[in-house]
Amino acid sequence: MTILLLILTILPLVCSIAIKVAFIPASEGIAISGAHIFFTIDLPFGGLPITESQVNSWAVLLSLFFLCLFLTHGMKTKNIGVRQIIAEFIVEKVEGLVRSSMGEMFMGFGPFIAAIMGLSAMTSLQSLLGLYPATSDLNVVSGWAILVFILITYYKMKAGPLYYLKGFTEPIPVMTPMNIIGEIATPVSMALRHYGNVISGFVISILIGTALSGASSLIFGWLPGALGGYLLRIGLPAIFSIYFDLFSGCLQAFIFAMLTMNYVSSAFPADEYFRRKALKKARLEAKNIK
Amino acid sequence: MNNLDVISLNIWQILISLANLAILFFLFKRFLFKPVKEILAKRESEIQAEYDKAEKATDEANEIKASWEEKMKTADDKADEIIKNAVEKADRRSEVMLYESREKAESIIRKAKAEAERDKRDAQETIKQEIVGVSAAISEKIIGREINMDDHKDLIDSFIDNMEEA
Amino acid sequence: MLEIAIGIILSGCALGAGIAMLAGIGPGIGEGNAVASACEAIGRQPEAKGEVTSTMILGCALAETTGLYALVIAFLLIFLAPGRFVNILLEAVGK
Repeated sequence: MTILLLILTILPLVCSIAIKVAFIPASEGIAISGAHIFFTIDLPFGGLPITESQVNSWAVLLSLFFLCLFLTHGMKTKNIGVRQIIAEFIVEKVEGLVRSSMGEMFMGFGPFIAAIMGLSAMTSLQSLLGLYPATSDLNVVSGWAILVFILITYYKMKAGPLYYLKGFTEPIPVMTPMNIIGEIATPVSMALRHYGNVISGFVISILIGTALSGASSLIFGWLPGALGGYLLRIGLPAIFSIYFDLFSGCLQAFIFAMLTMNYVSSAFPADEYFRRKALKKARLEAKNIK
Repeated sequence: MNNLDVISLNIWQILISLANLAILFFLFKRFLFKPVKEILAKRESEIQAEYDKAEKATDEANEIKASWEEKMKTADDKADEIIKNAVEKADRRSEVMLYESREKAESIIRKAKAEAERDKRDAQETIKQEIVGVSAAISEKIIGREINMDDHKDLIDSFIDNMEEA
Repeated sequence: MLEIAIGIILSGCALGAGIAMLAGIGPGIGEGNAVASACEAIGRQPEAKGEVTSTMILGCALAETTGLYALVIAFLLIFLAPGRFVNILLEAVGK
């Protein structure tokens, strides 16, 4: 059972590598482009292209799902194994992070923060497997940023829609357009930050790879066959990918999660919300007394 | 063109990735956080139960210890009393014995004294007899004739008495 | 004539992309300031290292945003703008 779940965890990633090898032609030279389109489903607003980034993010989704099952199946209260220690460590760490930066009221955000971190880090780290990192597709990170924006707006509306609308005219009514732009800038900057960081690493990786292959064919061009063009590309790009893929990917996942927590918890008008709650309670009690 | 542009936006793709994140949120909530929290709560309750049990056991042990201490204390008192009684008894007996022994010693001494007195008297008597005998013999020899013992008895006796007095 | 016009468009896009990336100076200076202050703070209060580091990373990420806007503009100018502008030119010429 354990082995089966471990295999199921790895299988989606292997499948996405297999799909890449089978369906995507190898590109020659400098090719900085978006995700490969497998096919397009006809829908209004431009149709739905099923792309490499979506397939990769679904693979990560499945992989994380099976990882959860792998970590949590057969848990005990005594004599715990390594898998349970890891699962408890993840949960406790995430809960501690949420508690320290959002407060006790937002403890329900634990799974959401864990989901953001897991999905973001795993999709960024997919580039270590030679896959197209899904986070370097603007659509993917925009979706996440829009979900965060929905959450922010929801928590701003907790103290009533009118209070939320009044918040736009806060210092002076003239500032309303600026406030609206500032409101929209939040998801845009979140999406662009994540996308820009990952794709800049991706582009630099491609440039380094191309440059190394050019230098290799210049220096070792006298070697027989295609060996000359690949000699410098063995191992050296991995050193750069330690920063651009491993460090930057994990860092961006952390930053995205931290920003989500900060934005959501600061969007919640706690004072007004509790004042209204107390007021409502008092009114209800007065009605009951009557 | 079989690839997306580097920067492209498509409403359906955005919705799909939004749904992906939401689905992953529910998956994590259902399959990672819920079981782990359940197991943590279970463990906590178990530990609490263990603590309660341990506390109960400690209380019981303390109770037993207190009762034993009480018992020990009374036992100590009893032992003290017994020892005291024994010491008293021993003291008394030793006094009695001492007295008795002293008595015995005194009686022995008295008896010895009496015996010695008697012996002395006996000895005096014998010596007196012998002296009488001896002096009669000597006088006989000196005088050259037989002295009638009965005649001279009074004489000799008075002599000896004078000697004794002297 | 048309070739020259297209050449001007392409060179303009490439130049624009390069100039847009001048915005990378700002985040560089800003993040340098942030990291310098963070180092100072850690030197003054080594026990607050974890908190200072995470706050610094968050601040750096916020400061980086303008640079990434520039990056996105540069990408647009390199990958999207030439095709659009050439199409507009061809339509205007009537071909």
